[in-house]
Amino acid sequence: MEESQKILKLAVSIGEELLKNGGEIYRVQETMGRILEAYGMVEYNVFVVSNGIFATVHEDRPDRGSMVRYVPLGKVHLGKVTALNQLSREICGGKYTIEEAYERLEQCRQISGIGKIGKLLAAGMGCGAFCYLFGGRVRETLIAFFLGMLLWLFMQALARGKVSKFLVSILGSVLVTAVSFGLSAFGFDIMRDKVVIGAIMLLVPGVPLTTAIRELFSGDYLSGIIHLADALITAVCIAVGVGAAVKVFQVFGGMSL
Amino acid sequence: MIGQLIAAMLGTLAFGIVFDVPKKEYLFCAINGGLGWLTYLLLGQCGADMALASLGSALILTLTARILSAVRRCPATVFLITGIFTLVPGAGIYYTAYYALMNDLALFTIKGIETFKVAGAITLGIVFGFALPQSWFARLSSAIHDKRRIDKHVGK
Repeated sequence: MEESQKILKLAVSIGEELLKNGGEIYRVQETMGRILEAYGMVEYNVFVVSNGIFATVHEDRPDRGSMVRYVPLGKVHLGKVTALNQLSREICGGKYTIEEAYERLEQCRQISGIGKIGKLLAAGMGCGAFCYLFGGRVRETLIAFFLGMLLWLFMQALARGKVSKFLVSILGSVLVTAVSFGLSAFGFDIMRDKVVIGAIMLLVPGVPLTTAIRELFSGDYLSGIIHLADALITAVCIAVGVGAAVKVFQVFGGMSL
Repeated sequence: MIGQLIAAMLGTLAFGIVFDVPKKEYLFCAINGGLGWLTYLLLGQCGADMALASLGSALILTLTARILSAVRRCPATVFLITGIFTLVPGAGIYYTAYYALMNDLALFTIKGIETFKVAGAITLGIVFGFALPQSWFARLSSAIHDKRRIDKHVGK
């Protein structure tokens, strides 16, 4: 492989990792440009959208190279984004040879973050806290805490089974609504809506919404619309799930809702 | 009020953990979330409606995220994404769906429009927050970090 192609591959790989883990389009684009410049590429083109990277270097020279990567929208891992940001800063400071940079990239890929139990508890804590925030009493908060953990386990299980994420949103909100309304039907004196609102926070599309806004208003219209569509469809899926569960209780439960 | 603030900070922290924020930024994420919710509550007490309070809160969240980003040398997204969860209209989505199913079209329309208004307000808050030039924050960052370097140097 030509030197320029190795450099291009490094930049594209770092860009891919950034994009996959929730880096913004402009960050990916800038980072890739800076890395290419740091290793002496004089002429390059980088085009990044939400789910793909296209890059070329040295179009008019014999050591030209071009690369395309498809990067499906995935799980956000902000720890990796931070580490890659640091890596790119160090590369621009001239700290690494190309081989060393590849090694550091591999280390960044291995970052795992907190363990499974910790995340499970965090999911519960988040749901409980938001339930309280939106007007739940102590009992609703506790139910939201356990329901949040149940939802988290459910989401992980579905993700392992490679179920589409839209189905995860629908089934997840069905689960949350069914448990909450079910408890209430069995005579528990709870505010059903507060429990559901707390627990669906794990499904609510906060990340794609924020990302979409920032991309649309920094002129990355295509990426912004991809994320906006993601956010809207997820929101609709949640609404469908909640609605379906409510309907079932209304029809078969004979409840006065 | 204190309970609400603690809940907001815990909620933000929890989402920080779920999205794998680096451990050393946990505290700062929680602070940003708490500050955002405090703004929301205060604006609400001054008589602002949900949309206006969300706008103000999103603006403060974004500015704080950028300041923290400069101070901590860490992408602003880390603080913004986790903090914004206190504002995202999850409740709006729920009530909209609920009233649609209950065939209560008046409340469905009200909640639906309110949800879109809040989403729009968050948008404006974030956009205004990012309208300030990055060079100001870069200057802040270099001021802080250069000073630290000088302090270290003098310390030797």
